[in-house]
Amino acid sequence: MTFSPETLAAFADGQLDSAEAADVARAVDADPALARQVERHRALRARLAAHYAPVLEAPLPDRLRQAVMPPDATVVDLAQARARRTRRLTWGGGIGLALAASLTLAVVLQRPGAEAPLPGYAAGALASALDNQLSGQAPVGAPVRVVISFADASGAFCRGYASGQGGGIACRDDRGWKVTRQLGAQVATPEADDGAYRQAGSHDAALMALAQDMAQGAALDQAAERAARAEGWRKP
Amino acid sequence: MLALLPRLRRFATGLARDTARADDLCQMTVERALRSRQQWQEGSRLDSWMYRIMRNLWIDEARAETRRGQTFLDEDAGVAVGADGGQEARAQLSDVDRAMARLPEEQREAVLLVMVEGRSYKEAAEIVGCPVGTLNSRLVRGRDALLAMLGDDL
Repeated sequence: MTFSPETLAAFADGQLDSAEAADVARAVDADPALARQVERHRALRARLAAHYAPVLEAPLPDRLRQAVMPPDATVVDLAQARARRTRRLTWGGGIGLALAASLTLAVVLQRPGAEAPLPGYAAGALASALDNQLSGQAPVGAPVRVVISFADASGAFCRGYASGQGGGIACRDDRGWKVTRQLGAQVATPEADDGAYRQAGSHDAALMALAQDMAQGAALDQAAERAARAEGWRKP
Repeated sequence: MLALLPRLRRFATGLARDTARADDLCQMTVERALRSRQQWQEGSRLDSWMYRIMRNLWIDEARAETRRGQTFLDEDAGVAVGADGGQEARAQLSDVDRAMARLPEEQREAVLLVMVEGRSYKEAAEIVGCPVGTLNSRLVRGRDALLAMLGDDL
């Protein structure tokens, strides 16, 4: 069976229906030349994605933030019913940092071989990132990116994070970083009125909604994060 | 909307190929969206709607510049869009910028929407306002051109 270049490209893009994709997959398995073509498509896609990814990580310029959040914040509201969103938009600081476009259900909390972690507590790379990373300052290629920090109602420091496999919010207590919220493709945000923001690829808003719901006060700015980190993220 | 800004900014960077112009485009898009917010249909995807606004603004802008006789940025001017990597990474990134700059506008936007923004062919066609088949053939041509320009490194 032969396939058009369009079909091969669509296969590499994951845009074929399952029956067609299965046909192509069989052909690709059997034909190294086809496999090489598909591989080139995927490599190109990965290269483009990597090229533009830093824009997602970069801090937003003030003028863009202000365009979304004019001094009269009610103007921002896309629908009057979304009063809650207006409050969310008053957050400055670290939340201008995008999460990965797609987060899936699983969150890797433990790495094999690590000293027995407490159930429900961050371990390994996640714990390390939560301990050390400043929001939005993840090194390129880091497995976990911390995107926001805030204090919850008890005064404990909490941090929102994203990784290749998912994201969530962890709060610091005496024993470590307890993962209190996990976010994935099918996890609903607490708000029923937020449907448009919760669809695939829009999980960043869902994570911010979770953070907003838990937070007492504003997000920590970088200076506050440094101070908290210096104190081991213990309650002030 | 604030949550969408990084992605909008990424799309704008791909279209405008220059950080300052990308931010201008982003700002115009946000302002237009806020002014036109009654036109956004509840339950539809806000991000797709805003991509569409941005794309149309960019096309208008590009046409206006052509009329004014200005040339677009030459292909070396838009290099080093983001990444502060090492020297080697920077040189490699410039290749992508140069290759993207050589694509016709309609191929570039198709490539950006599908391969960078991760939209389906159907969503990308809706954003651009063309049939899926048209989007698909622009994408194929754009992709082939990129492979020809960058292929040695892939």
